[in-house]
Amino acid sequence: MLFLRACLLALLLPMFAAPASAQTQDFDALVTSLPEGSYSARGAVVGAIALTGDPRAEAILTALLDGALGVIETTGQVVILAPAPADALAGTPLTDAEATSAERIRVNNGLRRDIRAALGILTLSDPDPAKRLAAADAAFRAPDAAQYELLDAAFQREENPAVKSRLAEARAVAILDGDFPDAEKREAIDVIADRGDADAQRILTPFAASEDPDIAEAAAAALASIEQSRMLWGQAQNIWYGLSLGSVLLLAAIGLAITFGVMGVINMAHGELVMLGAYTTYAVQETIRQNAPGLFDWSLLIAAPLAFLVAGAVGVAIERGIVRHLYGRALETLLATWGVSLILQQSVRSIFGPNNREVGNPSWMSGSFDVGQMTVTWNRLWILIFALAVFAVLLFVMKRTAVGLQMRAVTQNRPMAASMGIRTNWVDALTFGLGAGIAGLAGVALSQIDNVSPNLGQSYIVDSFMVVVFGGAGNIWGTLAGAFSLGIVNKFLEPYAGAVLAKIIVLVAIILFIQKRPRGLFAVKGRAVEG
Amino acid sequence: MSVHLLLDGVNRSFDGYKAINDLSLAVDKGELRAVIGPNGAGKTTMMDIITGKTRPDSGGVWWNQTVDLTKIDEAGSARLGIGRKFQKPTVFETHSVEENIALSLKAERSVLATLFHRQTEAEAARITELLELVRLEGDRHRPAADLSHGQKQWLEIGMLLAQDPELLLVDEPAAGMTDAETMRTAELLRSLAGKHTVIVVEHDMDFVRALDCRVTVLHQGHVLTEGSLDHVSANPEVIEVYLGR
Amino acid sequence: MTSLIDRRMGIFLAGLFVLTVAVPIGNLAFDGKVVPSYIVSLLGKYLCYALLAVALDMVWGFCGILSLGHGAFFALGGYAMGMHLMREIGDRGVYANPDLPDFMVFLSWDELPWFWMGFDNFWFASLMVMLVPGALAFLFGWFAFRSRVTGVYLSIITQAMTYALQLAFFRNEMGFGGNNGLTDFKDVLGFPIQSDATRAGLFVCTAIALALGLLIARAITTSKLGMILVCIRDAESRTRFMGYRVEGYKLFIFVVSAMMAGVAGALYTPQVGIINPGEFSPANSIEIVIWVALGGRGTLVGAALGAILVALAKTLFTGWFPEFWLFALGGLFILVTLFLPKGVLGLIEETFARKKKPAPALQEAKA
Repeated sequence: MLFLRACLLALLLPMFAAPASAQTQDFDALVTSLPEGSYSARGAVVGAIALTGDPRAEAILTALLDGALGVIETTGQVVILAPAPADALAGTPLTDAEATSAERIRVNNGLRRDIRAALGILTLSDPDPAKRLAAADAAFRAPDAAQYELLDAAFQREENPAVKSRLAEARAVAILDGDFPDAEKREAIDVIADRGDADAQRILTPFAASEDPDIAEAAAAALASIEQSRMLWGQAQNIWYGLSLGSVLLLAAIGLAITFGVMGVINMAHGELVMLGAYTTYAVQETIRQNAPGLFDWSLLIAAPLAFLVAGAVGVAIERGIVRHLYGRALETLLATWGVSLILQQSVRSIFGPNNREVGNPSWMSGSFDVGQMTVTWNRLWILIFALAVFAVLLFVMKRTAVGLQMRAVTQNRPMAASMGIRTNWVDALTFGLGAGIAGLAGVALSQIDNVSPNLGQSYIVDSFMVVVFGGAGNIWGTLAGAFSLGIVNKFLEPYAGAVLAKIIVLVAIILFIQKRPRGLFAVKGRAVEG
Repeated sequence: MSVHLLLDGVNRSFDGYKAINDLSLAVDKGELRAVIGPNGAGKTTMMDIITGKTRPDSGGVWWNQTVDLTKIDEAGSARLGIGRKFQKPTVFETHSVEENIALSLKAERSVLATLFHRQTEAEAARITELLELVRLEGDRHRPAADLSHGQKQWLEIGMLLAQDPELLLVDEPAAGMTDAETMRTAELLRSLAGKHTVIVVEHDMDFVRALDCRVTVLHQGHVLTEGSLDHVSANPEVIEVYLGR
Repeated sequence: MTSLIDRRMGIFLAGLFVLTVAVPIGNLAFDGKVVPSYIVSLLGKYLCYALLAVALDMVWGFCGILSLGHGAFFALGGYAMGMHLMREIGDRGVYANPDLPDFMVFLSWDELPWFWMGFDNFWFASLMVMLVPGALAFLFGWFAFRSRVTGVYLSIITQAMTYALQLAFFRNEMGFGGNNGLTDFKDVLGFPIQSDATRAGLFVCTAIALALGLLIARAITTSKLGMILVCIRDAESRTRFMGYRVEGYKLFIFVVSAMMAGVAGALYTPQVGIINPGEFSPANSIEIVIWVALGGRGTLVGAALGAILVALAKTLFTGWFPEFWLFALGGLFILVTLFLPKGVLGLIEETFARKKKPAPALQEAKA
């Protein structure tokens, strides 16, 4: 059977190089020959039809699969009977009489399998590379020696490198499934091993127990290399998850790095400022939904500045109303701002209700893509980019602008700054407002991955303080390092310990770490802080 | 006379800034020594190193030629018999004057001992004696917070004496005192010498003159010169350091 | 030397004594008509909070350690007692298993975990009520104080400690009933836990524990050690230079305070009828701080009073207009820190002092 097909293909293959008209003619001949011969011979014809890449092939093969392809005995005309009766080749509609006179071409299970494979192959000649890639993947996942020739042919003519390498893998799978020489099989094993993922592992596993010692050995070696590559990819995926968690921690903590790290003010209402940012996003999205649904994809871009302003304004109010009366009394500040956090929580609960609010993902934040063997979701990637962007802007503001210079001056030596004409009150309010505004921005990002509820802020407060303390207060680079290292450590522990235990371990580790380095990872050194 | 305190080639830097640079200093038992130097000369850091608050990067600090002071903490140095009076008077403001002295008295410092401590008559007598010495007897029940700056200085001297230390490190004791008080302080410190070893850090030259003792001049964390006040003030380097170019 | 029972302590203890006598009589003698049974348990709960506040005041008010994790010690004490009460249920649980508490049967555990051993003995459990929080405080304090973690850094890591414990106790694998905690108690020392007499007895025990706690705290804080604690609070570095090993003192008071908090928790569990991981939540621990701040830091009696006042306000508010409670509590935090640095007790005593002062002045004028 295999031999037969090979012969037929050998006959047919030159057709691809032939001029279009000849190809069309051959296609017609192939289709016309469909009703004839044994099921297996017709299977070969089906494959040949698919290989022509003719645009009509798909409709004809689909009809054949559905039992909707017929032949008019008298003329030998092949016709499609459903949904609209028409000539299979010319596409001209049939009369009712013609339609009723047509006899359905029968198919059995073997032929059906061939047709399905052929339909899969058909997409191999689709003009869209993405579809060809999907077809190659499908062929890879369902090893079938019968498809070898089809895959090989597709492989030979493919020009897109990504699709070509995938086709090579699919072809290798077919080789392993069939009756090919050992050398070719070993080569195929190598090709599959290079792929290095779970599918490759699944396909190769049975061959490690092959009776042929050469094959078994090659498969075992390949499996070992796959195992290693999977482990590496697993680590890469963990690092990605860690970076993602780190970016969330960074966003939550970076505002604190300013209020606590730079100003030395403990703001327990920081989490609630994050929550305000998330609710601002919700409000913006609701307004857009009701008034201009077309703008939905822009909702986050609109919400971000608003969230910054809302949270920043609340922050300035907190500073002017409460915090400034308590400078130098860190513990009292902690308590008073905790009071503010309770009030903000209850206000939001009274206005928006206690339940989770639905905040949607814009289209550009939905879905995911693959990098090698790991999956990256768009929203996590954007949040990482956003966090780094916020960090960069903050760094710029602190180090390169006049406002930043004044902020640093005031925190380092208040009386001196005041005597140099800096309005320290104004700078205090501004610094606090900046930290609060950044918390609002964090809220916009977190609304995309977390439940937006009045308790949103509470769940981040301990973590974000840990980040700032771990990184070293007074150093925003420390916050960056702290956030990402805690994120990654957490994610590496999770597979062994589970999410909750991992978190506990990290917390305990930080508690112990602070004993060793009370001023954090990137402590500001010098005499001033030793007192 | 034996060397009571020895600093041998001590170095300490903060973020690249050399606060103490190859500092060597020997003070004999019972000696009264004045240390002078411009701002940033390393006087306070030197005291921090002696009392175990700051560890030197290199060099040795020896107590009685046997005890390595770089290995002990603040409380340990106090228990050895090193008493320190700070530049800015720090008394315990919510405690009464009397309590400030009582807490400083030489006694067992362990947790349990203090938990079950009952004041003895000898201690009460000693407290009264010290309060009379620093002229605060009339204020003994007032909270220390109510005292004037000068009174706080005296209270702190009283607390220092209550510890009965072998070595007294006194940082600018005359700051905030009237001239008469300054002279009385100098007199007191002179009277302590002999029985105690005393190191005084001071800016006020009149006060240093009144101490009438050997003077060490510190500059950029290093000993510039040593000798009598007249000797060092005749040194051209000292003049340059103090007056600038 | 200051006396053990000063005026404010005397007044408070007298009031507490009247309550201890009046409440059980009002409940038992009048068949719950004068003082309803639930009020007895409610007041008992308040007194537990008061004891907890006294414990926190020892470390915060006197030694300046703002612990945001005292709820953890309270909860550990509560769990230790809860474990004993679970063992006392015996085979009267839903699954009627004589050896295992219901939640273990539900999780299809085969035998009692080792750390549950001994808790069927009341006295062992009572010991653990103090030892477990004390040991945690010792371990934590030993690390933290030795490496001189102070101020807000210490506060933040105490908060992290209670948060970590909360996460841990939420886990079923920990063997403490997970989410639901320990509940459905039947007896305490053989007395049915729901009966009025038992409730009254627990109330009296709590009142006695509070009185003892206050006296112990007062004895410690008026001793020489207590004065050193205040020195540490006001000028830690200076205290070291006087030869006191600050970390030892901090550790001592932290451990004593944790044990006292554990006792408060142990009395809380039978009166409330449940102990669950929610007690570990950081928010609870911060609330304790506001009790102390409201009553008056460093006054002991004020702390107890503050706890009772806030708890009473919470009961009333959540009954009348529940949504306003958090506004009220939040406002309390802000107002107390901004305007009442000495707390209610300080305010009252200052007002009294001001009223009295003109009198001698007048006499002087006459003379």
